[in-house]
Amino acid sequence: MNDGRMMEKLHNIQTTYGYIPENEIEKLADEYAMSKTKVYGVISFYSMFHTEPTGKYLIRICNSLSCHLNRSDDVVTGVQEYLGVESGETTEDKKYTLEIVECLGHCGEGPVMMVNDKIYTHVSKAAALKILKECM
Amino acid sequence: MGETLFLKRKVSEDYSHYDFPILKKVIKMRREDVIAEIKASGLKGRGGAGFPTGLKWELALKEPGDEKYIICNADEGEPGTFKDRFLLENTPLQVMEGIIIAGYAIGANKGYIYIRGEYAKAINIFQDAINHAKEEKLIGDSILDSDFSFDLQLVKGGGAYVCGDETSLINSIEGNRGISRITPPYPIQNGLYGKPSVVNNVETLTAAAEILAQGGKTYANLGTDKSKGTKLVCLSGDVKEPGVYEVEFGAMTLREIIDEFGKGTTGELKFVIPGGVSTAILTDDQLDIPYTYEDIANVGSGLGSGAVVVVSEGHDLLELLQNVSRFFMDETCGTCFPCREGNRRVYHLLKEAVNKGGFTSDDMKLIKDIGKTIYLAARCGLGQTSMCFIGSVLEKYTDELLARR
Repeated sequence: MNDGRMMEKLHNIQTTYGYIPENEIEKLADEYAMSKTKVYGVISFYSMFHTEPTGKYLIRICNSLSCHLNRSDDVVTGVQEYLGVESGETTEDKKYTLEIVECLGHCGEGPVMMVNDKIYTHVSKAAALKILKECM
Repeated sequence: MGETLFLKRKVSEDYSHYDFPILKKVIKMRREDVIAEIKASGLKGRGGAGFPTGLKWELALKEPGDEKYIICNADEGEPGTFKDRFLLENTPLQVMEGIIIAGYAIGANKGYIYIRGEYAKAINIFQDAINHAKEEKLIGDSILDSDFSFDLQLVKGGGAYVCGDETSLINSIEGNRGISRITPPYPIQNGLYGKPSVVNNVETLTAAAEILAQGGKTYANLGTDKSKGTKLVCLSGDVKEPGVYEVEFGAMTLREIIDEFGKGTTGELKFVIPGGVSTAILTDDQLDIPYTYEDIANVGSGLGSGAVVVVSEGHDLLELLQNVSRFFMDETCGTCFPCREGNRRVYHLLKEAVNKGGFTSDDMKLIKDIGKTIYLAARCGLGQTSMCFIGSVLEKYTDELLARR
């Protein structure tokens, strides 16, 4: 079966659980008559999909060229120090997952940071820490 | 010299009652005549590759078979590029009108728009626009009392730059890993689900709709012989007023775009990337050229996606090289190993150079050699252009890089 809805289903599962759990991978494998390995292969290709639980807040900071020129490194190191985690890691209290990512498409308004689906532009280190502190 | 408003003409308009006036006109035309109008306009693909749009549509129409697809590529990911997001957020119904018109022209009853997953706002806006169009029966069976039926589905990307390549994007819609396919056959013959498919960029389809409103000749009268019409330029980096500006080809030089729209640089200008990080840099003495495909190609670079990134003095060149190199190392799909291993190797060579405090001529030779290998061996645009920026910086700033030791 190929209905062009695999990506949508993966996104929906992740929205429901916060990640893509193994039993859902099994269900998809049955539904699409694919091996579990192949479904896992699809999931692992895309950086937005997670197979482990992430924090309540997914923090993405762009560090591509235009943001870099606008000193995104300061934001990156500031947030890393504040949260005490590196890119791809989740804080112990499961509140934040940090991802240093490539271009988020707001190159004229850098540095740019995303908290779950919300975009913040012209972010300084101080502004980034304030945003994090306001996540309840 | 101000902006030439063609695509941006309707940005401030209220779209809540927009009922596809251009489509209403087009749907009464013969398919061949629609395509002839696009061919007369001289429109080229605005995603970066620059393939003539009218020709692409004509080839797709001539392909045998009832099942064809039109796919709108909104997987905008080239660092420095944000024009498609601008169009999706500000003129979603005109983008959609472009998709439906292209579907009509090539004889496709089903369309997809593949929007990168990080564009949460654009995705919400566009999904609302699709729902609105379905309610108003502007999408569905026998639209606008014609015998043309059309369905449109939004696919949300998963965060993979390589899916901006049309064959990778098709694999992704099919629910596979987004790796490129070997071409030929091109999607026009063998695309989505093995059927004839046209993949067009957001800006291209929006321009196509407006061309059919104003006429191919009106568009062709803008620009130069080889670069017709207008282009959305995304200005970012070290400029005072970054943003999306619409430029008539040939009407302004690169320097004028930076000075007049960008209100100048924030520091002393060092170099400019004219078309995103997949294109070669231009130095200060190369900026007094008209903004056209041909003039930028003549000085050894490309217009790419329209992402003009301005870099001023004061940045560490090695850091910039490492930044771009990391991007390609992260984003290569890993299918062609010279691209996968080559970009990784270049990143580590640059990192080592930072650690040991500088570059040797051997490092430089090795990086150039790897770059050439990737260019020759990679099967998609990502790999082929991955070393353009790095190669051009090494060439133009050899002395500066070697002097760091």
